[in-house]
Amino acid sequence: MNDKPVRPRVRLSVPTCARAVLPLWVLLVAACGGGPQPGAVTPSAADSAAAAARRDSVAAAARRDSVAALAQRDSVAAAARADSVARAARETARADSVRAQVQANVTGESAPVRSGLDSASAVELSALIFFDLDRSDLTGASVAALDRKLRILQANPRLAIQIAGHCDERGSDEYNLALGERRAAAAKRYLVEHGIAEGRISILSYGEERPLDPGHTEESWTRNRRDEFSVTVGAR
Amino acid sequence: MNSGRGRWREDAELTAVRAAPSLAAAALLVCLAAAPARAQDSIPPGGVRVGITYTAGTRPGLVVALGTAVGFDSVRAILERDLDQSDQFEVITPPGTPGRPGDAPDYRVYRAVGADLLVTLATAEGRSDAVEVQLHDVRRGSLVRRATVADAGGAGGRWAVHRTADEIVRWVTGRPGIAATRLLFVQNGQLWRVDADGAGLAPVRAAGWPALSPTWSADGRHIAYMAYVRSGQPIVIQDLESGEREVVPTTEYGLNITPEFSRDGARLAFAHGTEAGTDIFVYEVARRCCVTRLTVGRFSDNLSPTWGPDGRRIAYISTRAGAPQLYWMDADGSDPEVLGRFDFGATGQTNGPAWSPDGQSLAFHRDVGGTPQVFVLDVATRAVRQLTGTGRNEDPTWAPDGRHVCFVSTRSGTRQLWVLDVETGRVRPLTMSGGARLPAWSPRLASQ
Repeated sequence: MNDKPVRPRVRLSVPTCARAVLPLWVLLVAACGGGPQPGAVTPSAADSAAAAARRDSVAAAARRDSVAALAQRDSVAAAARADSVARAARETARADSVRAQVQANVTGESAPVRSGLDSASAVELSALIFFDLDRSDLTGASVAALDRKLRILQANPRLAIQIAGHCDERGSDEYNLALGERRAAAAKRYLVEHGIAEGRISILSYGEERPLDPGHTEESWTRNRRDEFSVTVGAR
Repeated sequence: MNSGRGRWREDAELTAVRAAPSLAAAALLVCLAAAPARAQDSIPPGGVRVGITYTAGTRPGLVVALGTAVGFDSVRAILERDLDQSDQFEVITPPGTPGRPGDAPDYRVYRAVGADLLVTLATAEGRSDAVEVQLHDVRRGSLVRRATVADAGGAGGRWAVHRTADEIVRWVTGRPGIAATRLLFVQNGQLWRVDADGAGLAPVRAAGWPALSPTWSADGRHIAYMAYVRSGQPIVIQDLESGEREVVPTTEYGLNITPEFSRDGARLAFAHGTEAGTDIFVYEVARRCCVTRLTVGRFSDNLSPTWGPDGRRIAYISTRAGAPQLYWMDADGSDPEVLGRFDFGATGQTNGPAWSPDGQSLAFHRDVGGTPQVFVLDVATRAVRQLTGTGRNEDPTWAPDGRHVCFVSTRSGTRQLWVLDVETGRVRPLTMSGGARLPAWSPRLASQ
C-alpha cells in the first residue's frame, strides 16, 4: 500500500471516460462511504450528488455532537470537506495500487502491522466475535467484545483496524462472500455508531475461503462463522 | 423432390472452406465429398436427414471403427469418447475391429451388433499426417459424409479431432457437439482449466489468491474472475493468450464478485458489496466505459447475475425478502420479479443461477433439508425440476449445447466436478482430484 504505485508495462486499461470522472467519482464515493452509485456516472450528476452527500456527512457530523455542532457549523463543514478531499486522494492512490498489483500478481496477504499496544489490549482487540448460522446480526457476547475493543480504539486514536468477515462451509461459496461482508460491516457499524471515525476501520470478506477450523462438524462451523480484527495502523 | 435445404446450404459453406484453405488454418480442414444424394420428402420435426432419419430424443447405435487408417487408434479412441459423451448416440464397441484395410465396410457386421451409424477412419490421399473421417449409414449401407482432419497426429491434433466429433454430432442431429470446449474452475484458490473430456488439466495464472468465480467471454478469448490482491478484491478481465489484464472500473473498492459476460460480449454484470449491502452493476466492456447500478439493495444482497440469451433480462439472487431467492429483472434494472419461489419448510435458499444457452431454462442450486441440490426451472412455465439427490450438488454451469450441465458434487466423497446430461440423466465425473468448485463452461472454441 505504501509503495509508490508501479506503472505496469502493459497498458492500464481504465477507460478515458472513467479517468475523466475519476476525481468526482472518488469524491462521491468518499462522501457516501464507498461504492459505485446508481446510474451511469456523469460529471453533472456526480456534482450534485457529491454536494448532497457532503450535506449528509455534515449533518451526520452535526448529530454526533449536536451542541458543539450548532456553534461550530462552519468549522465542522470545513473539516468534513478537508477530510473528504484527503480521503479522495487516498482512494485514488488505492485504485492505482490495485491496478498495479493486478498486473504484478500481488496476492492477498500483507505483512502484519505492529499494534504498539500492551499485550492485554492487543489480545482484547484481536479477539474474535462469532455469528449464528446465516446471520450477520451481533449477539450479546459480540456486543460485549466490541465494547472492549471500543475502549481500546478510543484510548488509542491513531490505531486503525481491518475487520474480516468469515463463514462456515455450508452455504453457497459466492453467497458466503456477501454474508461475510455483512458480518464485517455489522461490527464496523457498531463501532462507528459508538464514535469511532469511519476511516479508521476497513472491512473485508473472505466468505468460506479461510476456515479457522478445517473440520466438518457443528463445532468447527460455529468457530468459523466469525469476524477477525487486525491492526492496519499502529497506536504509536 | 426436396432434398433437405438445410443440408445443402451447409454443404455450400463447407465447399467454400475447401476452396479457400487459408480459412481452415485452425487444423480442421473439412472437405466434404459429394455424399450420395438421398431422396427425401421433408425434414422430420426435430430431426435432420443424413441418410438415416434422426429423431430428437432417440439415440442411434453408433460404432467408431479404425478402417484403413491404421496407426490412428488414438484418434479413434478420442472420437469414440467424444461421441459417447455427446449423449446423442448409443456407442457400441464390437469385439475386434471388423473390416480389413482397403475394404469397404461390411455393413452386415455392424447391423448385427445393432448399429445405425458407423464412423470409420481412412488414410487421406497422399497425406501421412491426415486422416479421413467417414460417416456411414449402416442400414442403407452407404457412405453419407466425410471430412479430413489435418495434422491428426500433431500438436493441434487432439482439438481437431474434438472439432470433427462435434461436426459428426451436427451431421446427425443438426446441432454441433461440445467436445471442443473446456471448463474453468477453482481449486485451492487457484484457477484451473480442463477440456470437456477431462484431459488437458492446467493452471491458469490469475492476478491474486484466492481467485474465485471465473467466467468466459462469448468469444472464449477472455475470462473474468475476482481475485484477492493486497489492497482489494477487484473483478479482473484477462486475455487468455497474452495474459493482459484489466481491472473493471469501480471494483478497486469493496467486495466484487460473480462476474458474467453478456452473450454478445458487450457487457459484464457483477455484484459489488459495501457496508450497505451487495448490488448488481453492469460494465460496458465493449465501450470500455461506464458502470451502471441495477439494484438498490439497502442492506440486502443482490448477486450472481446471469444473462438471458438476448441480453434483455438478467436473472440473479436476492435476499430482499429474507433468504436468498431467484429473481429476474430487465437489463436496465427495472421490473424485478421473483422467479422461482421456494416452498418454505420443504426447500430453502437458492443460489448459483445459470441461464441456459437456448434461454429456456435456468439451472441453480437450492437447499433441500439443508443440502444443496441442482434444479432446473423452465422459464416459460416456471416449473421446477430437481436434477440431483445424492450428496451436495451445487453451482451448475451449462455447456453450449444446452443439454449438459457441469456442477460440483460430493457424491463420490470429495468435492469434484460432474457432468450431467439433462435429457438422459446420464452423469460422469469430470475431475478426479478433490476440492474442485465454481465451474464455468466455455463456448465452443476454435482452437486449443
